[in-house]
Amino acid sequence: MNMAKNIAFKQETFRDDYTYSNSAEAIRRFPFPFAEDEYMYSVNIEQHDGGAPGSVFEHAIDIDEHYVAECEDRRITLEKDPGRYIALPHMKDAQWDMVELIMDSLSTDYPDLFQLSKDGDNWHWINKPLNIDQKFVFGDESTLPMEPFEYVGRQVQGDWVVMDQRDDDLFADMGIITSQADWSLAFDAGMSFKEWHGPVPQANELGIFDRALKYLLHLQYGSPVRRLNWTMTVNPRLDTSPEEYPLWGPDNVSVTADNVGQKVHLRVELQALFRLPRSNAMAFSIRGYLASIDDLKTYPRWAKRLRRVLTNLHPDLSEYKGLDNYRQLVIDYLAPMDDGADLGLGTHPE
Amino acid sequence: MERGYWIRSKPLYDSLVWKQQATGHVVVAQGEGGIAVLKLFQQMCPREPIKLLFADEDSAARKYADIIQTLVPEGLQICESEQAVLAALREQLPDCLMGTQFYVAGSEAFIWAVMDELKVYGVQDINVEKELSGTLARSVYCVHCKTTDKNVHHSIHQCSGCGRHLFVRDHFSRRLGAYMGVMVDAEEPGNIPAAEEIYP
Ligand code: HEM
Repeated sequence: MNMAKNIAFKQETFRDDYTYSNSAEAIRRFPFPFAEDEYMYSVNIEQHDGGAPGSVFEHAIDIDEHYVAECEDRRITLEKDPGRYIALPHMKDAQWDMVELIMDSLSTDYPDLFQLSKDGDNWHWINKPLNIDQKFVFGDESTLPMEPFEYVGRQVQGDWVVMDQRDDDLFADMGIITSQADWSLAFDAGMSFKEWHGPVPQANELGIFDRALKYLLHLQYGSPVRRLNWTMTVNPRLDTSPEEYPLWGPDNVSVTADNVGQKVHLRVELQALFRLPRSNAMAFSIRGYLASIDDLKTYPRWAKRLRRVLTNLHPDLSEYKGLDNYRQLVIDYLAPMDDGADLGLGTHPE
Repeated sequence: MERGYWIRSKPLYDSLVWKQQATGHVVVAQGEGGIAVLKLFQQMCPREPIKLLFADEDSAARKYADIIQTLVPEGLQICESEQAVLAALREQLPDCLMGTQFYVAGSEAFIWAVMDELKVYGVQDINVEKELSGTLARSVYCVHCKTTDKNVHHSIHQCSGCGRHLFVRDHFSRRLGAYMGVMVDAEEPGNIPAAEEIYP
């Protein structure tokens, strides 16, 4: 059975009144990232060639119940700040590569929601959840209402950075970034792999960026890879950009013992990397999943695991991820659930 | 953060040293960068053609044009201002052959303004020798309103665009030629540490 048929898209917000919530099904498939009681950065890269049916890893690009609301949130952010989309002029081929990647994946994996027909370069795209029906000529920018990458970027969940590869390095020369964990595309655009990772503590000393870059430079078309990254966010806010820090900064000091369960969210990024065929560029998707501490607590194994990871977290990582104001509150909140039992290896909920 | 933490996008600057295996050399300098030029010409000069563009800083007490003129036999062009140096560079760049080695010295803002010109012709960052001279003043990009202020000597810095008080991070964008400034009192409005002159 195709899961797509069953997606009921939520009407919800990621700002102001924050009506975002997860269904029981969304919690069950949440990509909980901790397989052990301790967490440290590593080169945690694996093949992205399909996962268990219903899991977030099943398809190259995951669509879930938050799809429509997330696209709307992106629209609002781009309207306020068009600089969240950047494409340097030499990225034209990569723009069309992205149109192909996203339209091909979505129409293949969710045929009830997205349809694509091609007659040579004459393409016909139907996006049912967003009510879009567009005929265009592949490769001819004038047949789309905006730049090709911005056009498809507005129709997919998660942020995207597209990197140009040259001189044995990757350069962040294109992106659509509206739900980032406190980094700025407008500032980072054009940077090399080591430069944009500059602020990350500890990882360079462990040789992680050297090894990861070497590996990525040889990434092959048709063999995407993925990794998980995580942080925490107060309120289910997608746009935790440095640009809007004046808006969400005060939230960081608003957590109390009474509201911690609803306010604090674990934010997991499913990051996938795809080689692009025409441009030889590389697409990096950063697909965020948000679950409140109370959501996660429905599975005691996750509650215990999270408490232990936060307790053992390296202070530099805690500071860098911005958790210092409320990490102890989360640990204390989860303490009554932790009987100290050995959880074994693995991220599974039960 | 623990000791040993530093942000790797922060450029490191060296002393200018002539490079081997070039077909030509272009030296571009401004203000206190004059000292770097004089140091460079105390080294054994390469045989290939050398071009030198230089402008003194108008307001500076110390001027170098005269000394440079007595020491550099050919290929020297003294300009009226920093802007004139950039204009001269722009004009002459197309004549520079493949294999030219570039050397830049001056304030950080000047170094990255030169890089902006060179980038247009595909000159890579790593193929340009850079020496920071005279001042540690920074260009600061306000991540909130996108204004870039030049000649910033203090952290905390008040943004000229939006008035926010910015903490100046060591995170540096070569494209913008600026460090990132982030509102320092976002979490607790009004809680603003004293500004200190840490980029004299
Ligand atoms: C190639 C595409 C990639 C892009 C565009 C990218 C981008 C970024 C950005 C913008 C940040 C935030 C830096 C800041 O604080 O300003 C970041 C953080 C980080 N990246 Fe990457 N990254 C990529 C690949 C990787 C890979 C392959 C690894 C490791 C195997 C990695 C490891 C990390 C780590 C550990 C952090 C810190 C995250 C945290 O603690 O929240 N990245 N990345």
